[in-house]
Amino acid sequence: MRLAATIRNVVYPFASLREVMAKANSKKSGDDLAGISAKSAVERVAARAVLSGVTLETLRRNPVVPYEIDELTRLFEHSLDETAFKAVGHLTVGQFREWLLESETDGSKVRSISAGLTPEMAAAVCKLMSNMDLMTVAAKCQVVVRANTTLGLPGRLSSRLQPNHPTDDIAGILFSMREGLSYGCGDAVIGVNPATDTAESTAQILTAIDGVLKKNQIPTQHCVLSHVTVQMRALQLGCPMDLMFQSLSGSELGNKAFGISVALMDEAWEIMKEKGTARGPNCMYFETGQGSALSSAAHHGADQVTLEARCYGFARRYKPFLVNTVVGFIGPEYLEDGPQITRAGLEDHFMGKLLGLPMGCDACFTYHARMGQDELESLKVLLCAAGCSYLMSLPVGDDIMLNYQSTSYHDIPSIRRLLLKRPTPEFDAWMVERELWDYERNLPGRMFGRPEAIVS
Amino acid sequence: MSRTRQLVDRLREELGRSDPMPIAPPLPKIQEPPSRVFPRRHEGSRFARETAQHTTAMLGIGHVGTRYATDVVLQFQAELAVAHAAVDAVLPDDWAMSNGWIGLSSRVQNHREFLLRPDLGRRLADESLARWKQSGKHGVDVQPILADGLSAVACMQSGRALLESFTRACQARGLSVGVPVVARFARVWLEDEIGAAVGAKVAAILLGERPGLGTGDGLSAYLVYDPKIGNTDGQRNMMSNIHARGTRPEVAGDRLAVLARAMVDQRRSGVELDLSQLTQQLGDAASRAPRAPQVRERLVERQP
Repeated sequence: MRLAATIRNVVYPFASLREVMAKANSKKSGDDLAGISAKSAVERVAARAVLSGVTLETLRRNPVVPYEIDELTRLFEHSLDETAFKAVGHLTVGQFREWLLESETDGSKVRSISAGLTPEMAAAVCKLMSNMDLMTVAAKCQVVVRANTTLGLPGRLSSRLQPNHPTDDIAGILFSMREGLSYGCGDAVIGVNPATDTAESTAQILTAIDGVLKKNQIPTQHCVLSHVTVQMRALQLGCPMDLMFQSLSGSELGNKAFGISVALMDEAWEIMKEKGTARGPNCMYFETGQGSALSSAAHHGADQVTLEARCYGFARRYKPFLVNTVVGFIGPEYLEDGPQITRAGLEDHFMGKLLGLPMGCDACFTYHARMGQDELESLKVLLCAAGCSYLMSLPVGDDIMLNYQSTSYHDIPSIRRLLLKRPTPEFDAWMVERELWDYERNLPGRMFGRPEAIVS
Repeated sequence: MSRTRQLVDRLREELGRSDPMPIAPPLPKIQEPPSRVFPRRHEGSRFARETAQHTTAMLGIGHVGTRYATDVVLQFQAELAVAHAAVDAVLPDDWAMSNGWIGLSSRVQNHREFLLRPDLGRRLADESLARWKQSGKHGVDVQPILADGLSAVACMQSGRALLESFTRACQARGLSVGVPVVARFARVWLEDEIGAAVGAKVAAILLGERPGLGTGDGLSAYLVYDPKIGNTDGQRNMMSNIHARGTRPEVAGDRLAVLARAMVDQRRSGVELDLSQLTQQLGDAASRAPRAPQVRERLVERQP
């Protein structure tokens, strides 16, 4: 296969499909850092031109990380749905983009071929799409999942309530959680990033949250985002746990740096299916983010969008209840500024949905990235217009433990009102019952924003 | 008449001919909203008072519709601006010299490159390395390094106090201390090359930490035994949140010297360093656990 394109009589040759994939990527500081990005805007288009002529079949035969050295590549190959693949394998990436955008291609058709796509295919078509293309296709893809509540139904927007505390002060966590609930946040999950990564601490936080949820009959899920092995030990201690969490990477080496493997996650899932306290069937929660593989030198020369898609390929094995990309968390060396973070958020949401995952997004920035509040608010609206399943929610968007800026308690009801969205049906009913929202006028209810509506 | 024309004509008829936006009726004088001040003073809600005992999260701030009150917006924007200003600050070229210290530079050329290329911030520029080998004191127990990191503001504000208290405390514990040096555009791992170049047993880099909302004046310290290129984070011990509202530089210097002494005695650092006998003296520096919450200051006051 000759990999070259001509623009204005200049020939742009590429040595490998991996190079084409990297150079076709929208500009990202992380790809510059890896030294694999296009040298100019024109070369980027040339790479896209080449990529648009490559078939999905060819992408399947050329994974960005070789089969022999990577268990994820082997997992993707062995678990691919051959019937679904047969329907699309012959298409070029350019043709596949057009098929996805066609009006006749609805969500159910996309769902029929989803399991036949390798992550590389999702990443490749992503590179040929503009931001609005990404939104248009993502909005077609419906992924509905169920734990205690039902997430991802049309016209719904959920949120993870994230009442983190720098010293795991239980009272501090619960105060924040009650306030968030009074704003209608937390219908996806009440999820705490613990400061102390121990089984005892994980069990203690879960038990405290569980108490408040039970006492107030709040239909949602809880989760403490410690390492998966810590959560497995916490389950042995006998604590409630609705969802089990883990961060994922896009290569075997990257996952090794996270202290996980396919075998370990298989084991965790089995334990969770047995001991998890949510009704299910979905009980896992994963987080990802462009750049994580490179940050542990585990990228194998591949670009960060493709590696991100591979995280989703890994995640879908476990039929998760939640997957979200923590899009601006990793820092400006991977996503430099507002436009790059915005683009990455829309890419990740699109790729995840295309691969059949209940995608949410932690739309966020660290304080050393070039992004401001207005740009972040815009990204949240774009994501939700594209059907993003859930966002985060914190007091004024400020994570006092992890020191970064995300979605606020006030943002969730604002976006719901703006885009005429509602929380999960179960949580929705609870909110009406507690007079937190007045749906007749679609305005805050009598108890909105009043934490005393939730007893501790 | 065409079908389309007929259709449009009928629509016009249905929609009427009147002005679609008639003048809005006048309102009586709007009542002034209640005063909403951040942070809630003592007269605020019980919830706000109770939360303040347990967390610095901005809770009990109320809402206007579904959005923030004006005073909350100003507080938030001020906190954000302070954090961004700290990141944007650059250590002046001559800052080290004007303080009587040796100034070194990483391989980074400018501020943007500093943010985008952490790899370059972890290595010394050739000229700096050569000069440092000449001017540094070789074979010391502890090589202190003051650096900008992600907040030159913090470095310039409390860097001197921390460096001096750390040096004194090390000497009081019988440790020999190298020539103080300031590194510009520096990442944590730069301590490996600087320490290795003079054969120090322990390298200690004191640098501005990544600002959080409303902060930007915090220093962190990272200590490593046997500094050499290729050391990982697991081999370092760290202490964060060193500033007037967190751990004061004078206190931090002492605790860091306890760490350095332990490293020299045990000939190791990081996860392998046994600190079980030293927890009393170490305070915050004893564990890898995170810092306690700090007080959230009101940043904006309008002149009456």
